[in-house]
Amino acid sequence: MTDAANNVASGFRAGRDVASEPRTGRLPSVGTDPVIELIDLYKTYRVGTELVHALRGTSLRIHENEYAAIMGASGSGKSTMLNILGCLDVPTSGIYRLRGQDVSRLSQTKLARIRGRQIGFIFQSFELLGRTTALKNVELPLAYTRTRHRRQRALEALKRVNLLDRAHHRPNQLSGGQKQRVAIARALAQQPDIILADEPTGNLDSTTGKEIMDILDSLQAEGQTIIVVTHEDEIARRCGRTIRLKDGQIVLDTGNGDGHPRRDEGGTDAIGEAATP
Amino acid sequence: MKALRALVNALLFIPDRVASLAGNVVTALVQIWSNKIRSLLTVLGIIIAVTSIISVVSMVEGFGNYVTSFLRGLGTNMMVVYPERVRGPMGEYLRPAEMTIEDIQAVDRYATAVRRTSPVIFTRATIEYGRQQLIGIDLRGTNEFFQPIRNFYVDAGRFFGAVDVDAGGPVCVLGREVLRKLECDESVVGDFVHIDSQRFRVIGLLQSKGSFMGDNQDEMIVIPWTSALKMYPYRRNYLAFYVEAMNEEKIPDAEGQLVRILRQRHGIKKGDPPDFGIFKQDEILKEFHTTRVIATSVLAGIVSISLLVGGIGIMNVMLVSVTERTREIGLRKSVGAHRRDILSQFLTEAVVLSTVGGGIGIALGYAICYIAAMHPNMVEINVPIWSVALALGFSAGVGIFFGIIPAFKAAIIHPIDALRHE
Ligand SMILES: Nc1ncnc2c1ncn2[C@@H]1O[C@H](COP(=O)(O)OP(=O)(O)OP(=O)(O)O)[C@@H](O)[C@H]1O
Ligand SMILES: [Mg+2]
Repeated sequence: MTDAANNVASGFRAGRDVASEPRTGRLPSVGTDPVIELIDLYKTYRVGTELVHALRGTSLRIHENEYAAIMGASGSGKSTMLNILGCLDVPTSGIYRLRGQDVSRLSQTKLARIRGRQIGFIFQSFELLGRTTALKNVELPLAYTRTRHRRQRALEALKRVNLLDRAHHRPNQLSGGQKQRVAIARALAQQPDIILADEPTGNLDSTTGKEIMDILDSLQAEGQTIIVVTHEDEIARRCGRTIRLKDGQIVLDTGNGDGHPRRDEGGTDAIGEAATP
Repeated sequence: MKALRALVNALLFIPDRVASLAGNVVTALVQIWSNKIRSLLTVLGIIIAVTSIISVVSMVEGFGNYVTSFLRGLGTNMMVVYPERVRGPMGEYLRPAEMTIEDIQAVDRYATAVRRTSPVIFTRATIEYGRQQLIGIDLRGTNEFFQPIRNFYVDAGRFFGAVDVDAGGPVCVLGREVLRKLECDESVVGDFVHIDSQRFRVIGLLQSKGSFMGDNQDEMIVIPWTSALKMYPYRRNYLAFYVEAMNEEKIPDAEGQLVRILRQRHGIKKGDPPDFGIFKQDEILKEFHTTRVIATSVLAGIVSISLLVGGIGIMNVMLVSVTERTREIGLRKSVGAHRRDILSQFLTEAVVLSTVGGGIGIALGYAICYIAAMHPNMVEINVPIWSVALALGFSAGVGIFFGIIPAFKAAIIHPIDALRHE
């Protein structure tokens, strides 16, 4: 990140806070109120006659401005958890509170509303609409939430990820890293409470992956709450907190859930070893 | 108060709704354009349906206007009565049908609903002028009432009057087409022509009326019926006549009266068939109406089958489109699209697709009418605006009807399943 980009970034953040407060009527979170609270969450899939327990009694708190990595072997339930956090899916049982509101039993309509206003999702395979420009892609969520000044907000978001010069390019004219930056801009434009990223660097080479993570780092530095699902220790190390899943249960959590991110405690180096049998 | 608030809110939302609808339409057009061939094949049924609506309706309408204006040109309260032996074996035993000037005078005198009559002799004649000779031109021998009864006036020179008729003099009035074929201009008025070798003075020229069903009304010679009788004396007992009723409502009365008078004079017993025929405008109208009903029901058949085919095509292609774009639907939902947003997106696409088909059909329909109108014997064709509206309405309706199932299917897709879709 260059200084200039950071300046642009902070300008953008400032705009965000002013705009978001009257919209939601929420007070900025203070003290120990978690943004996310999972209590004894279960998710069970039925495949034929068999039951697959993807999540088995998970409890978790994520606070404002936390930067958490979810790790674990393939099939351990990471995506399942993230999808529930992103209100794309509902738990079989248990409680999920988002900003104090129980969203685990909401209707599809209400969930759609939350997805549009409070959640920014970043996918491994970018998920951009191929036939429209980067700018239109970034505007998409704003159209669904019927937000005003969409173009302006979308342009600001693209500026934030340094892609203003590619605003009118289509996804097939962009590199993988640029596509993922458009996807980040799309999430940013929503001015969400949390950004959820499911293996955001999974389809990228390591250099480009680093660029993407740099952007996420800087967003977190500006106050954004971010949860990243990843397989890579190096990425997890950037995050202040690591949550390790195994067979649908949390087996390790370096955060204490008290609302104080441990970004500066330097304990992250041990996580890799601690979790490896 | 609450209602007012709701109303204000709803009104405030309108620009947003319009904007999102416009957005949907743009998305749909992009989608259609990127699958040009597929879209075209899909809407073929709609195109056929709309093309047939436009062209058939316009032509039927064109003929309708033509017939109506022709009948108006005939004079709206006019009938033609002519001697006619009843058809078939029964007629063979009856004496030949006759109609004399006394019959006509009796009708004129005793039928109170009749304003006036005009005897008429129909025949064909040869006319010569200078070096030109025309064979088989329609000739009418009639009286001075021909003009008002037939609503057919001279616009150069004069028509013959009662004096000419009484005298049975050699005067004639010519139609414009005769003039054209004789290769002369209006200066012929006052000059002489030969009709079936008799010298006639041209005293007037009839206004131009155009042709009807291939029958050119301007190709006509009109002379006093008394003069015609001199040339064709055997026609004396086989006269026909025009009847003008007092007004349009009196036509049935006039008909009843003249039928009674003629039957009595001809000594036709009760129940026996008459020895004369009556030609009325509503007969033409009836005939035309039958044609119109047939054309309309054939049209309805074509239209409903091709709309059905088109509708199923649209449903099919929309179902394919929904499956193809499952991931897109998943993404849209994950960034906040409600079910109704997805529903209206796909419904809009179906409607835009079918309306585009309708638009192409309208263009083709216009083209067909344009080409048909180039034929010299064709009536004037105008595409009625209501048929365009009807066609557009039909195609949009088909889009909604057959698009609703695919759109609904898209709307209820679970976001997770959609994002997992390969
Ligand atoms: N729709 C589904 N139907 C049935 N089983 C499912 C479904 N989705 C997930 N599962 C199962 O739930 C478990 C957890 O899946 P999940 O996708 O959360 O794993 P993951 O940790 O994200 O793995 P990966 O690292 O490979 O992405 C797996 O055993 C998977 O087979
Ligand atoms: Mg996963």
